Amino acid sequence: MLERYKIYSVFDLLLEYYNEGRININREIHKQRTTYHDPCNYGRKSLKTFGHGYFEEGRIITKACAPNFVDMEPNREGNYCCGAGGGAWAMPFKTERVFYGRIKARQIQETGAELVIAPCHNCRDQIKKSLNQEYQLGIEVKYLWELVADSLVLPVKN
Amino acid sequence: MIYEFRVIDLAEEFGVHRNTIRNWIKSGAIPAKEGPGRRYIMDWSDYQRLCEKFGKTPRMPRTGGMQKPAQEQGPPPIKLKAVEGNKFYPDATWADICLTCGTCASACPIAGVDGLDPRKIVRMAALGLTDELVNTDWIWKCTMCAKCEEACPMDVKIVQLIRKIRSMRPRDQVPGPIHKGVVNCLERGNNLGIPKDDFLFLLEDLGNELAEECCPGFSTPVDVRGARILVTVNSKEPFAEPDDMKWWWKIFYATGESWTISSENWEGVNWGLFSGDDEALKTIVGRIVDNMKRLNCEGLLLPE
Ligand code: SF4
Ligand code: SF4
Repeated sequence: MLERYKIYSVFDLLLEYYNEGRININREIHKQRTTYHDPCNYGRKSLKTFGHGYFEEGRIITKACAPNFVDMEPNREGNYCCGAGGGAWAMPFKTERVFYGRIKARQIQETGAELVIAPCHNCRDQIKKSLNQEYQLGIEVKYLWELVADSLVLPVKN
Repeated sequence: MIYEFRVIDLAEEFGVHRNTIRNWIKSGAIPAKEGPGRRYIMDWSDYQRLCEKFGKTPRMPRTGGMQKPAQEQGPPPIKLKAVEGNKFYPDATWADICLTCGTCASACPIAGVDGLDPRKIVRMAALGLTDELVNTDWIWKCTMCAKCEEACPMDVKIVQLIRKIRSMRPRDQVPGPIHKGVVNCLERGNNLGIPKDDFLFLLEDLGNELAEECCPGFSTPVDVRGARILVTVNSKEPFAEPDDMKWWWKIFYATGESWTISSENWEGVNWGLFSGDDEALKTIVGRIVDNMKRLNCEGLLLPE
């Protein structure tokens, strides 16, 4: 099955477009300081399960769109979970989820970033809709593909 | 006895933001009342319970007030099943090789909350305390982030163990909507039970909007045979944030990609992974493979 079909994560496809020069990016749109959240499932856990962690792909794309980039500490396989993984975003344990997120909130704050890129639905929701308010981060949060879509110079078609 | 506090002090004590404390008071998670001078008061026993929940030592000792009962009833004795009948024994890497060093607990962002602690989970598994593990909510408060596992010097498969424990919880006792989502997906094709007609109408509508906004000539390709890429969808988007689907569509427009969405079984989020339901997981994946065959696509795009 895996030989017959190619399975794309969002990273694979965005990077394919980028490397093949199929997307034209305006680097002037996202000038604010920007950081990147490593999702556990595509990073640390993918590394362990499949032998490849998606650490660099998301950074290449993010830096291409938002050149004023700074990493959180720790990052990549050492990164902290947003606090909403494994179904926790939907679980009836909100108090615990917000408490869990305190480390993520602090990590973001320490970068001084105004824009946080999250390549996963869950992480984005936790950071944007919960941590941002709870910890008054005052940040903007975008999906990785939202960042690309907002940076696109669209071709003129008829 | 009363515990009096200012929001800022309690926030500092528990390492969260002032807003979080206010929200907890509002939601009743902290049973406190507003007192004079922007201070709050709560029962000392509630404060103590809060400290216990988050694994903190109460900041001030209890003085006076009620006496501790002379004879405290301990928990009932526990029977260990270290080897015989221990469901976690067959794979030594789940628990048996643990050195009890506690590194995992230090790495875990939620260790200490309600007594949750990955080392404890691993040790309980090694000792055969299966029922206790299956019935605790720890395994659902854990996000399966694998931070503990990354830190473990023995490479104990803590996340696999936790998922295994999750899978042993009776399905009707899985907290929150994730099992319901799995059932929805099996019965109705997506986690949130969105009807096919509504979905198709939405796709068309949004496609027209996008064409007007910035992508002239765009229309959403549904069930296009021979498209290069089959795109799966996270059902929360059509359900609650439909405009968010347009970002990907705009990228496809810009790249001239050949892509399509299936009109049925388009769900891309498999909650069986988190609820620990392998059968459902396989069935849902199988449907996507069927779509790939039916529409003769080369590649599959996951929602993240
Ligand atoms: S996987 Fe669970 S137990 Fe381990 S560090 Fe993450 S939240 Fe803690
Ligand atoms: S880090 Fe590994 S070896 Fe140490 S207590 Fe945790 S599971 Fe056991």
